[in-house]
Amino acid sequence: MSPGGIVVVAEQEKGELADITLEMLACGRETADRTGWPLTCLLLTDRAAPFKALPLAADRLVIVEDPSLGAFNPEVHARVLAHHLKAMAPALVLLGNTATGMDLAGPLSLLLGGMAVSGCVRVAVEGDAVVATSRLYGGKLLAQTSVPAALALVLLMPGSYPRQKGMRDRAPKVEVQGGAGLAGPLRVRPKGIIEPKAEDVDLRKVPVLVAAGRGVQTKDNLRMIEDLARTLGGAVCATRPVVDQGWLPRSRQVGRSGVTVKPRLYLALGISGAPEHVEGMKDSDLVVAVNTDASAPIFDVAHYGATVDLLDLIPVLTEKLKAAKGGK
Amino acid sequence: MKAAVILRQVPDVVEELVIAEDGRSLSEDDVMYITNELDEHALEQALLLKARHTGTVTAIGLGGDAARDALATSVAKGADEAVFVPIDFAARGDNCVLSAHLAAALKAGGYDVVLTGVYATDQLDAGLGGLLAARLGIPYVGGLSGVQLDAGGRKAVVHKEYPGGRLGVMEVDLPAVLGIQSAEQPPRYVPVSKVMQARRTLRVKELKGPLPQVAGVTVRKLLKPESSAHAKMLEGDEDAVAGQIVNLVKERGLL
Amino acid sequence: MQAEAKSMGVEGGKGVDATKAFLGRLSLLPDGDRIAACIQCGMCSGSCPVGYAMDINPRMMIAKLRAGRVDDLYRSSSIWLCVACFNCTYRCPSNIPITDRLIASLREELLAGGVGVPPELQAAFEKTARYGNPFGESPKKRDAWTKEAGVEVPVLEPGDSADVLWWVGCFGSYNKRNRKDTIALARLLDVLGVDFGILGTDEWCSGDLRCTSQGEEGLFDALYRHNTAQLSKRKYKEVLVGDPHAFNALSKEYKRLGTPLKVRHYTQFLAERAPELRRLMKQTMQAKVTYHDACCLGRRNNEYEAPRIVLETIPGIRLVDMPRNRENALCCGGGGGANWLDSFIWERTRVPLPVQRVQEAAKTGADILAVSCPLEIPRFDDAIKTSGLEGRLRVREVSEMAAEAMGLSGARVA
Repeated sequence: MSPGGIVVVAEQEKGELADITLEMLACGRETADRTGWPLTCLLLTDRAAPFKALPLAADRLVIVEDPSLGAFNPEVHARVLAHHLKAMAPALVLLGNTATGMDLAGPLSLLLGGMAVSGCVRVAVEGDAVVATSRLYGGKLLAQTSVPAALALVLLMPGSYPRQKGMRDRAPKVEVQGGAGLAGPLRVRPKGIIEPKAEDVDLRKVPVLVAAGRGVQTKDNLRMIEDLARTLGGAVCATRPVVDQGWLPRSRQVGRSGVTVKPRLYLALGISGAPEHVEGMKDSDLVVAVNTDASAPIFDVAHYGATVDLLDLIPVLTEKLKAAKGGK
Repeated sequence: MKAAVILRQVPDVVEELVIAEDGRSLSEDDVMYITNELDEHALEQALLLKARHTGTVTAIGLGGDAARDALATSVAKGADEAVFVPIDFAARGDNCVLSAHLAAALKAGGYDVVLTGVYATDQLDAGLGGLLAARLGIPYVGGLSGVQLDAGGRKAVVHKEYPGGRLGVMEVDLPAVLGIQSAEQPPRYVPVSKVMQARRTLRVKELKGPLPQVAGVTVRKLLKPESSAHAKMLEGDEDAVAGQIVNLVKERGLL
Repeated sequence: MQAEAKSMGVEGGKGVDATKAFLGRLSLLPDGDRIAACIQCGMCSGSCPVGYAMDINPRMMIAKLRAGRVDDLYRSSSIWLCVACFNCTYRCPSNIPITDRLIASLREELLAGGVGVPPELQAAFEKTARYGNPFGESPKKRDAWTKEAGVEVPVLEPGDSADVLWWVGCFGSYNKRNRKDTIALARLLDVLGVDFGILGTDEWCSGDLRCTSQGEEGLFDALYRHNTAQLSKRKYKEVLVGDPHAFNALSKEYKRLGTPLKVRHYTQFLAERAPELRRLMKQTMQAKVTYHDACCLGRRNNEYEAPRIVLETIPGIRLVDMPRNRENALCCGGGGGANWLDSFIWERTRVPLPVQRVQEAAKTGADILAVSCPLEIPRFDDAIKTSGLEGRLRVREVSEMAAEAMGLSGARVA
């Protein structure tokens, strides 16, 4: 099989690896163990030092270090990656199905003469083909596809593989290389990052939403909901009746005459599931609903449900989440 | 400013998606098409650019008959030109074929900026925008929620969305292909009467010619995800339920 | 949401010329020219339930037009506050069709310019145009509710005939909260031995849009053409409508556009059969009931008694009226597209209309707030929860109450 094996193209920001990188390494490790192929992590950065001792589950970590590689630049990154990947000649390249990975897929596939598959949640190798499972039509269907492992570019959806399996007990062999492939026109020039303002919350951009319905009962109880949302790195939203009471501003309303959201996690607390509300959240990736009424229509939309009292559940849940995070 | 917008037709998921007998494609008879939502955003962004800097917007509609309707709507909204590109059912979601097919026409069009949605709900391969840019040898940036052209019209300043609500500001030399995530304002409404009028007076150029034979992703199987019509209920007291929810959250990489 | 009227599509732009153009277009519509007869009495503004929140109320709108300042109106958010309750039109001493001509035309101008249209309303229009219902549900599922009816609900294919064609409506067909009421009506028709049928998936939204002043004339016409084509393929003696908005569209607007139909609201149909209903009653309903007069049945079509007659056939019921009843009824605030504009409207009016209404209902001491319009069920239900009246007041559809008293409720297999 191909000498280059599997290469994971890492994503990093200011000296830290993005979670997707670890997930891709977990996927790569699993595939490498099954095929016997070598697994390389390829990282472009302006500073190699923070990454050299990381216990990544790769056989080799190749760091391309150059001052111009600090901020993401699709044009420069594509050129540099193409240069190094050509030399490595892998069978399978893993990219994140993310803002950066999606910019690179097309250009890389043409530069390397390979085939890209996007939206993948599962990757396997069968003979000389890479078989991937992807989500289609907003998740309504799954597609199983195959592309030749020469070279296959797979874009992996965040959350498809467990991050912990991207690490192991020792650091891989590290090579630091200079920036070859950097010469050339700079038609795309990064000019900085605009950070979001603390107060402005666009519910549509938040990956985790904790939704409060009438079952929350009083405005005071919102405080524990906010704590839970903070712990999950998300935001609080609400149904119409809660907003009507004035407990939360109109901007937090999800539903027909509010905002439509599709977060990765929608925690529906004390929400009955009236159609006007469901319209605004039914395409969420994972819906977990808590309502003491077992026949509440929200359970027809939720993936998981529970009939415990949310006022009893939330403090316990928040504590357990904090404990789980604490070990990170 | 000469802008082109590529609008693709994708299966409308409001209708039940029926898998064909071969198990690898959708049943053609049962598919209802709708314009890819992010391509609507691309059109809106193009119209905003046209309002700010004089110029023209060419709407390029890919697909079957539904694409012609999309062109009428685009013109009703303000597009100056409509180009229909007929695409066989089997190739409609294949960006490798589509990008190869469109490249020559786009080059000939001499567009300063080509806008399209950063992804389509039916895509399995790399995004159309990136592939087109690579074939045309021009830059591509995707995931954009803001586009400004400078006074000379030789470059664009774009806002690229990163996780957590952060925006990357980038300067891009034109001509370029831009993959739109969301227009600076939601796609505008156009009353039905205006669309009907556009339909009656529409003059559409057609991009004729056979589709190129380009290798694409092979679909082995289409399947429905295991869905339950009802939630899986978590048993036990609040302690047990909390534990199960924490596991769910960890499994999904959300912690 | 300040409308940028500049030259962004709104014809003429500003000033006297633009106003003249607007008034010119208005006068081409039936009774549109009556606007010239305004005596500036302020009856409209005074009876408007949201007039206090409008920066430009109806009387002022006409005053502005006289001053050649239509662009002020384009920029105002007041146009989108109208809930089409018809109070102004009903009371105007000069018979000016304020709701259907003035407000509707202003909205149409703004829609045509793509200016200032609230996005929730836009979404409702787009979904209706595409799927034949404002919810964006598949048209193929419009008659899925019949599977749970527990009685046979015949679907009339082209060429079929029945005495009564039952126009179910979007809310009745799709909205889960109205489902039991639709099923109740089906069972009532069944037990009364009525020869009826529905159009099934061939039925599209009645387009109450236009006549309750949302301004999308093109869409209304498209719906009208589709619906009348479907109607013409079936044979029937009369049309029975569950939804007062559809009742208004089918009886008034379709007639004006060239398709006169014999249309009745279900309460009118049942009221005619009151003696039969009484005979079929099986259980008493010990309750104090207050009936909310739906705007589209009441002020628009002068039907106040039929629903009360039906309610009175139920043994044990004590009917009481709210202070604002019949032609003085307070709108639930859902008409004229307002059902999709609640957030927008309530930000400006502060006390939502449905909350005011349920509080008024509760003050009568009633246990049940009876309604005859499907929009009112979710609106009043939510308002009852918001007002803390849960457990003290229930909102119920007249059909569902009658059906229960006739022993027709509960799970059943057809």
